[in-house]
Amino acid sequence: MIHFISKRLKHSLVLLFMASLVCFTLVVSAPGNVAVLIAELRGAVATPGYVEQVAEEIGLHKPLLMRYVDWLGDAVRGDFGISYRTGTDVSADLANRMFVTGTLIVGSAAIATLISLALGFLGAFWPYKLPDRVSRGLALLGASTPTFFVGALMIYGFSVTFQLLPSFGFNGPKSWILPWLTVAVLPAAVLSRVVRVGLEEAMTSPFVLTAKSKGLGRTAILFREALPNITPLFINALGTQVGLMTATAIIVEPLFAWQGLGDYFLAGVRFRDFMVVQACLLIFLTFFIVVNLIVDLAVLLTDPRIRRQWS
Amino acid sequence: MNMLNPILARLKKMPRAALITIGLFVALGTFAPWLAPQDPSAQNLLEAGLGPMAAHWLGTDHLGRDTFSRLIIAANTSLVSVGSVLGIAMTIGIVLGTIAGYHRGWVDDLLMRIVDVGLSVPSLIISLAVIGIVGPGYWTMVLALALAWWPMSGRISRAVAVSIMSKPHIEALRVLGASPWRIYFGHLLPGTIGSVMVYATADAGTAALAVATLSFLGLGIQPPTPEWGQMLVDALPYLESDPRQVLLPGLALTAAVIGFNTLGESIALNRIPKPLTRRMLAARRLEVASWDKENSDA
Amino acid sequence: MRDEALLNVSNLTVNLLTAKSAVRPVDGVSYSVRQGECLAIVGESGSGKTVMNFAPLGLMPTGVTTMLSGSVKLEGRELIGLPEPEIQKLRGKSVGFIFQDPMSALNPVRRIGRQIAEMAELHLNMTPRAAEARALELVKLVGISDPVARLRQYPHELSGGLRQRIVIAIALAGEPKLLIADEPTTALDVTVQAQILRLLKDVQRRLDMAMVLITHDMGVVAGAADNIVVMYAARAAECGPVDKVLVSPRHPYTRGLINAIPRREDPIGSEFRGLPGIPPTLGAPIKGCALAPRCELAVPACSNSRPPLVRSDDSSVLVACPVVNQGKAAA
Repeated sequence: MIHFISKRLKHSLVLLFMASLVCFTLVVSAPGNVAVLIAELRGAVATPGYVEQVAEEIGLHKPLLMRYVDWLGDAVRGDFGISYRTGTDVSADLANRMFVTGTLIVGSAAIATLISLALGFLGAFWPYKLPDRVSRGLALLGASTPTFFVGALMIYGFSVTFQLLPSFGFNGPKSWILPWLTVAVLPAAVLSRVVRVGLEEAMTSPFVLTAKSKGLGRTAILFREALPNITPLFINALGTQVGLMTATAIIVEPLFAWQGLGDYFLAGVRFRDFMVVQACLLIFLTFFIVVNLIVDLAVLLTDPRIRRQWS
Repeated sequence: MNMLNPILARLKKMPRAALITIGLFVALGTFAPWLAPQDPSAQNLLEAGLGPMAAHWLGTDHLGRDTFSRLIIAANTSLVSVGSVLGIAMTIGIVLGTIAGYHRGWVDDLLMRIVDVGLSVPSLIISLAVIGIVGPGYWTMVLALALAWWPMSGRISRAVAVSIMSKPHIEALRVLGASPWRIYFGHLLPGTIGSVMVYATADAGTAALAVATLSFLGLGIQPPTPEWGQMLVDALPYLESDPRQVLLPGLALTAAVIGFNTLGESIALNRIPKPLTRRMLAARRLEVASWDKENSDA
Repeated sequence: MRDEALLNVSNLTVNLLTAKSAVRPVDGVSYSVRQGECLAIVGESGSGKTVMNFAPLGLMPTGVTTMLSGSVKLEGRELIGLPEPEIQKLRGKSVGFIFQDPMSALNPVRRIGRQIAEMAELHLNMTPRAAEARALELVKLVGISDPVARLRQYPHELSGGLRQRIVIAIALAGEPKLLIADEPTTALDVTVQAQILRLLKDVQRRLDMAMVLITHDMGVVAGAADNIVVMYAARAAECGPVDKVLVSPRHPYTRGLINAIPRREDPIGSEFRGLPGIPPTLGAPIKGCALAPRCELAVPACSNSRPPLVRSDDSSVLVACPVVNQGKAAA
């Protein structure tokens, strides 16, 4: 057990290191002279002298390894440099925006979990009957509708037509509901299929015949026998979906005028603000690595077979 | 022809509704320039924001452009971009995947490790990062998406290649002294391409979504070329007064993606036995009844 | 009450309807088991012996529709036509089941203690605490060492033999009157097989239960059973007391089976004496005797009509073979 955790932690650290390398090389390999870009973005005329001054300022003349070490050292201490575009401290922007995106992901993940379990169980309880078809249809619709379209529909339905909920801003729970729902649609759809198919697959296992021979009813078998079997599977899928939510956040945050990480990343991409792109990318990659780590540990706790392998 | 056979065999088993939707999308996309009744980019501010009428079947947008024509041309835009993305991604994926499957050993390990990492990062983030560094543009979008897409076909082709390589007839060829090139180009590559293409087609829905999403964010297809995601974002400021312009492109895109996703679901092997339909049950009962009749006759 | 059969099956026919085909794995079979008695059902795989015992109790895999006809009476109560909720109440409570593969019969992610104890909670209305105590008792009964620790373990932490003991403990937990054991030793190591069989025999005797032992192993039959039904291609070929059927088999199929057992006096390296040919695949019922193509006694008349079960001279054995039964009236 401890052996597994320490091995898994080491694996995560290696991945983190690789992620930092990717973020660093991506920006270093960007076409064009970064110093010229910055000079232009600052609105000054890019005279050779000024460009030279900028290059000196951001340490372009140092060897690559030195630049990487400097950058990584700063990043680890939470210093992501200064935005090329606005001149503000990236770290200061990040702190606030992480909370916004965190709120979005946590809320959506909770909603997606609840909806998918409900839909999945509905389908598994009455397989191939009406509730199953409805749940399957909803899942197909949810997985196929583009997130930005879902968001537009939510705004049109809940804000424009019925004026129930605010369509923009990050002020209190009422303003959180629409973005939460918008982000939750896709993972809820995907996860409901995971639950439905996983339960059905578990229900065809030989141990279900044993359970039936014990005189257990279908409800009891679904909850007592099948559910514990799909828990590791579900946690795994949920982890993937939570990772994907960072991508969804990029679409949804600007739509609802939330100033989160996704919005920041998108602005960075639009204005080719490398420091912002780099910082956000590093945070996203770190997030995936941490989520994967948590998923692996959670699976370890819910699946005695894997626990056994490592103890 | 051995490339086409698995595709044809599988086509027969696929849901008809999905095939019709996809067929419609491909047909519209291919013949869009001849099908569109009006110039999709012709502006007429005097006719802006109109409802459906004889001259404009689905109305006009805020610049007075014919929505019906724009929707059709957008199918073409989408089809071409998705085709290019999948074409490039599949080429990379199949080449690297078959090499990994043929060579195995450390090449396999290294490539599959890269594929794993590529698959664990959302494609939107990969493509946005590339666009952010290189700068937006049509070909940047296509290349960025292809870069995000190849790991999937890479993994599938590697799996297919490994299964082909372990078949006895390949072993026999090798014993008979066939050159590696003959095994690779004559047997491994054709077999892999056929199977991977079916999976890639099912993945086209997600690719179409990605193209539309990047265009929605203003980093994909640039105006005035019509594209569903971009049409939607264009019309978003007028959501209150003219929701039709938001709904139509959204519905068109959703319909296309549903088609591809249904196809994908039917391809994903379903090993679970399904209960009999009522008609099959009746047929089986009849069969059983005939046994008893035979026996009583005897 | 000892004379009345606990389980009385007469003229049972089972049709299975699947998406691909319709088959009849059981075709007009009759047998009965009394309290304290052990009935062996012998046949090759695919001869319908498992379906015959599981289908009337509603234990069929999903995706299969079962059609039953004939009569299955458990303690005088007709099972055929009984709604599923009623049958569900009988499973575990009146009938305990033991399965072929103990590796897959237990839920891999639940503790063994819970899997046994839930039976006691369900059928004996025990509190969880009392049920745990009962589970401990049962684990001791089936002869498992270190019972307290075992209850806290998961199935994959135990060997096949131990797992089969757990499956037996589960089957016994509801205090059933009838035990149906489907090839309980087939999936186990040879050294463990005898132990499990001895255990089964022992608990059956101690708890005075009836037992149906489904097997293809004549050795198992000889050691454990009182009566025997030999199945071939969905039908009963021969049935009667074990000591008679095994000592003087009449039906050519039974003879073939017994003859196929290697003997001590066989010279080393001598050929196996198997039955020639392969059993028919299940499908539509066969018009004549199903064994005819493989039978050395076969005459043209064998393929014309289905051979009836006929009582033999000493009146306790029934044989379905027109050649052996020549001149005798149907039972």
